Amino acid sequence: MGVTCVCQVPLAEGKSVQQTIDILHKKLEQLSAVKQGNFTVDCETYHATGNASGQPTKLLYVMHNSETPLSCLALFEGGPCLTADGNFDVLMIKLKSHFQNAKGHKVESRGSRYRYCDFLIKVGAVTMSSSARGISVEVEYCPCVVPGDCWNLMKEFMQSFLGPSIPELPSVFATKPEGLYVPADCVDTMTQYLELFSKVRKQQVLPGTTR
Amino acid sequence: MEAPPVSVLPITGGTINMMEYLLQGSVLDQALESLLHRLRGLCDNMEPETFADHELVYLLKGQQGNPFLLRARRSLSHPTVPWHLRYLGQPEVGDKSRHALVRNCVDVAASHSLPDFLNEMGFRMDHEFIAKGHIFRKGVLKVVVSKLSRILVPGNTENTEPLSLSYLVELSVLAPAGQDTMSEDMRSFAEQLKPLVHLEKIDPKRHM
Repeated sequence: MGVTCVCQVPLAEGKSVQQTIDILHKKLEQLSAVKQGNFTVDCETYHATGNASGQPTKLLYVMHNSETPLSCLALFEGGPCLTADGNFDVLMIKLKSHFQNAKGHKVESRGSRYRYCDFLIKVGAVTMSSSARGISVEVEYCPCVVPGDCWNLMKEFMQSFLGPSIPELPSVFATKPEGLYVPADCVDTMTQYLELFSKVRKQQVLPGTTR
Repeated sequence: MEAPPVSVLPITGGTINMMEYLLQGSVLDQALESLLHRLRGLCDNMEPETFADHELVYLLKGQQGNPFLLRARRSLSHPTVPWHLRYLGQPEVGDKSRHALVRNCVDVAASHSLPDFLNEMGFRMDHEFIAKGHIFRKGVLKVVVSKLSRILVPGNTENTEPLSLSYLVELSVLAPAGQDTMSEDMRSFAEQLKPLVHLEKIDPKRHM
C-alpha cells in the first residue's frame, strides 16, 4: 500500500450522484484505467453510556475497509486507535449496554475500483441511512510511502480526471511531510474517510438523490 | 492487484457464537515432569511448545450490574505478535450432568495500542500476572500447563514471584454453540490423566 488521499468531490452541474460518478468513470476509462472489482468502506458510531453528566458523550467509531476484509479499525476522534480482527464487531455486541450503536449514523462509501499504472482509484457513493450524501474519491500511489515525495505527482494525476476540484494536502500528511506514511494498517486512510464521513453527516441530504 | 471480494459477514448472535468448554486442575511443582511426560505421550506429536505471557485484566464499571471484564494477553517470548483480547461470558447454567464448564467466548486479535485504547473506552486495569508453561494439543483439545506469577512492581515483567507451589492445568476446547459432545470427549481425555491430575469443572463464582 502507498500514499493515499481521500477527498469529497462536488456534484457536476445539474447532475445527480450517480450521473456524476458515471462521468468520473468515463474519464478514468478514457485515461485507459481498468476496472478491478468493487470496494466498500463503512463507519459505525457507538455512544459510550454511563458518562458522568456534564461530560460530552464519547464517540467510538468502528470502520471496515474491503481492502482489509479480515480487519476492522476502532478509533476515537483525535484519540487512540486500535486495529483488530473481525471479532471486534462481536465484542461490541457484547458491550451493548456500555456502548450503544447509533444505527442511523452508519455511513458507507461503495463503488468501483480502478487501476491505472501505479495508481489505484476508488470512486464511491457515500450513503447514510440509504440516502446518497455525496461522492468520495480515493487515490493511492502504490510505489511511494512518503507523502512529501509524491504529493505533486498525485495532484497532477487527480487533475487529469477531477479537473479543478482537486483537494488540498490532507491534514494527516501535514504532521509528517517527510515522514513515513503507515499504509500497513490503513490508519491514515481511514482517518481521512472518517473526516469525510463526519463532514457528510453534518451536511443536509442532497435534493432528489434517494437511491 | 486483484480486489479482495466485497462480502457481508453475518454478525448475528447465533451464527458465530463460540463457546469455551473448560476443565481445570493443578499439580504440585514436583509432579510437573511426570505430567509433561504423560501429555507428550497422549497428545499430538509436535515440537513441545512453551510460552511466556503477560495478562492484564480490565474492568469496565457500568451504571448497574456487574463490571464488564476483558482479558488482554501479550506474549513475552514473541513481543511483536498481536495482543489477544478475550471476553468470557457467564458459565452456562443448565445440564448439571454436563462434564465441563461451558461459557461464551469471544477472541479478538488486536494491535499494540490495546492498553491505551481500553483506557480510552473507560476500562481500568484490575490486576495483571505472568503465565509461563507448556501447550499441548490433541485434535481440537488444548492442554495448557502454566505457572502463574504475580508482578511485584506494576509494569515490570522481570520482577515476579510465583503465586503458588503448583502449576495450573487447563483442558479446553473452542467450539460453536450446541456441540455438547465436546464435554464427553474432554471427560474421557481427563480420565487418562488420572491420578497425576484431577481435572474438574470449577465454578468460578464459588471462588469470588
